[in-house]
Amino acid sequence: MIKHAKPFACLLTALLLAGCAGSAAPTPTTARYRVALIAKSTSTEFWGAVFAGAEAAATEYNMDLTITGPESEEDYAAQNDLIEKAVEDGAQAIIFSASDYQQNAAAIDAAADKGVRIVVVDSAVDSTKVAAYIGADNYGAGQMAAKSALENVEGPLHVGLVSYNVNSPNAQEREKGVVDTLADSGRAEVDATVYSVATPESARAETLTMLARHPEINVLISFNEAVSVGAAQAVSDLGRAEDLWMVAFDSNIKTVDALHTGAVDAMVVQNTYGMGYFSVESAYKLLAGQGNDVARETQTTTRIIDRSNIFALDGQKAVFPFE
Amino acid sequence: MKPRHAPRTAPLIASLVVAIAAVTLILSTVTFLRNYRSSIVEGARTSSAQAVSQVVGSVGNYVNNIDEVMDLVMDSMDKSPENRDAFLDALQTTRSEVVAVTTYGADGTLQDCWAKGRTPRDNILRNSSFDLVTAKRRGRGYVSIPHVETIFEGYYPWVVSVVRRMPEDSPRQWISMDIRFSALAATINNVGIGQHGYCYLMDERGNMVYHPQQQLLYAGLKKEEAGRLACLGDGTYVEDTIIYTTQKVPGSTWRVVGVSYIDETVNESFWQMTRVILYAGALILVAAFVIAFVLSRTLSRPLQQLENAMQAFEQNADGFVFNSVTGTREVEELSDSFRHMVGRIQRLMTAVREEEVALRKTELKALQAQINPHFLYNTLDSIAWMCERGKNADAVQMVHALARLFRISISRGHELIPIEKELQHAEAYLQIQKYRYKNQFTYHFTVDESCTQYLCNKITLQPIIENAIVHGLDLMVEDGHIEITVCPDGSDVLLKVSDDGIGMAPEQVAALLQNEPSDRTGIGIKNVNDRLRIYFGPGYGLSIDSIPDVGTTVTIRMPQVPADREGDYDKTR
Repeated sequence: MIKHAKPFACLLTALLLAGCAGSAAPTPTTARYRVALIAKSTSTEFWGAVFAGAEAAATEYNMDLTITGPESEEDYAAQNDLIEKAVEDGAQAIIFSASDYQQNAAAIDAAADKGVRIVVVDSAVDSTKVAAYIGADNYGAGQMAAKSALENVEGPLHVGLVSYNVNSPNAQEREKGVVDTLADSGRAEVDATVYSVATPESARAETLTMLARHPEINVLISFNEAVSVGAAQAVSDLGRAEDLWMVAFDSNIKTVDALHTGAVDAMVVQNTYGMGYFSVESAYKLLAGQGNDVARETQTTTRIIDRSNIFALDGQKAVFPFE
Repeated sequence: MKPRHAPRTAPLIASLVVAIAAVTLILSTVTFLRNYRSSIVEGARTSSAQAVSQVVGSVGNYVNNIDEVMDLVMDSMDKSPENRDAFLDALQTTRSEVVAVTTYGADGTLQDCWAKGRTPRDNILRNSSFDLVTAKRRGRGYVSIPHVETIFEGYYPWVVSVVRRMPEDSPRQWISMDIRFSALAATINNVGIGQHGYCYLMDERGNMVYHPQQQLLYAGLKKEEAGRLACLGDGTYVEDTIIYTTQKVPGSTWRVVGVSYIDETVNESFWQMTRVILYAGALILVAAFVIAFVLSRTLSRPLQQLENAMQAFEQNADGFVFNSVTGTREVEELSDSFRHMVGRIQRLMTAVREEEVALRKTELKALQAQINPHFLYNTLDSIAWMCERGKNADAVQMVHALARLFRISISRGHELIPIEKELQHAEAYLQIQKYRYKNQFTYHFTVDESCTQYLCNKITLQPIIENAIVHGLDLMVEDGHIEITVCPDGSDVLLKVSDDGIGMAPEQVAALLQNEPSDRTGIGIKNVNDRLRIYFGPGYGLSIDSIPDVGTTVTIRMPQVPADREGDYDKTR
């Protein structure tokens, strides 16, 4: 009996354990994942759409999402504080958009070292601990803006660039895309580049100064939502809506209005809602152990919108958020 | 090794319990899940249909309401400008979802616009609120798909436009009312079907009108099967794990679609069920294990021990010592019975063996007592013949020898007699035979005197000598010789009878040691051998060396038994 009982007992025990394990496994985890989205800004339409997308995904995946951001887009120190606070508050993942490529790196590294998963949206940070990056092809977006000007303006192009934070990789990439495409055309040159603080007021003043100093400028390209609003105002102020081709980045009601008046002639629009959605989805997959499904880099789409297509159904869908 | 027949009791019972439980569990689970799934699907269909018809009701009311509002708006166009403006202003105050009311001429140009606090911009890029081509095609009017309000500066809400043709006599050909989704959104967003089910609104061609996750659709992150569903009539369609219910909104081109998922509820129950089954299975396994353990402890193992004991007993009944087996009462009773049986059998075996020995001894004694009648007759015949011939001295010697022979063979009932006496007995026999065979052989004794006082079985030598004479010497032409030797060999004594007769083949030797003697030949060699073994043990007895045509030597081995130890070997003394 002993001889036969032993394997029999082992089998029973194994089945028993399997039974217990099997019954324990499907028990659903009721705890919601905690995710903090730390943006560069909370006031622009760009970020509003990102937040909307993020919230949609958070609802879909049943996650606890908090959204914060600094007062001004350049305030990396405030962002670092927000990162620290998010970690203290028990965030399991941080979705981050860096004000400063360098200055935010240490705080992100520190958070990642505490086991927080890092997803970067829109603006990159100089850290190797980022699990996923979701953002547009900024170089390609720059090329798109330059091509729009080249296709619609005849003769030599005198280009003025209104950029923002000089430390932002996005701004640098967009500028590079513009400059390279213009250089390839052989009939364009960049006459002036200004780096404005990312507020409409600052950009308006900078643009006015630039256009006063370089009246020959007939193409103006501005690199984000806030500076685009300011630059468009400056163009209106100077009454140069007709003879100047302006390409704005990102959609804003004021930019759309300016598109009607002609102050703005084209807009490079990003899939901001998708950015927000994908970033939260990536965070969920990282936390839920589906990390293999998360690409290290996800490129969201960008498209060029001008007067001809803004009110076509596709254009409407791309530009105007559905409330 | 004995072949395996039937399985062991404890594992058998445990397996049976598990098997029966498993089958019952599986059957009941399958039945339950099947019924459960169909009832779940039925329930989901019903709740989907209910939710959709509820939404259809609300949307229908809303559409009716909008139609009524539109009628009022159209009526207001005939009023005085002050009354009309006041009415439309009041309307937009009470109905915040009305974004704008616009009118158009026959060529589709914008005439008037009433929008609380807003005026249309001068350069309208494209007016989405009115489409002349669609309006003309539809004749009476239409409801647009969702679009962005495009005629104002800085205000771009998503709206649908309700367009109507004005009466013929009016200077205005078309009127359009732009409505935001706020009221519809509340109606549709609040309807859930199951955990993740929802409703949406599409037009008859599958264009999305309102979806709770419209922005996801617009951003290309989600797709709906609206186009395909638009081709199907009203009803509920179960596709794999999704239930679609579509129903037309009366008085409108819109249709409500309900989307719900079977798997979430069914799978949830399935997992719950599986968990219960696994728990039950685990419990049954534990029970089976306990049963197996208990059975093994109380029944199987003791039975096994009993079985082993029986096997051991079977193989070695004499040396078997039984240890009682503990267990249930039945087992202990079995054990007791077996112990009794073992004791009984062992006693019986001893008794039988003893009886056998006693019987054999008695038999042998009876044989010894017998005098071969032929021998006696022949001897007496010889004596008579001697007397007739006047060989009185020889006759006297014969009679003496015969008397000695009988005296020694009786020996007052002793079985064991001194070797000296046995030798006298042998010599008496040889004398008689020598007369009878007319001196055809000679004989000689070589006796080690140290051995003569040891005891030996009586009438041991005589049958061997008789065999030597009858089978060895009788058939010879020349005279034979019989040599009888007694010598010690360690702690034993050897008695040898050698003849130089015709000898025997090995088969004859074997037959001699195995066969019972025929009537004619007294006690027989086999009986001598048996007797020696019975009295002294298996190490003693006869051995025969015979070479045909050379002679035969029979060696008798027995222990040195002093006269005072007769009782050790002969229990009757």
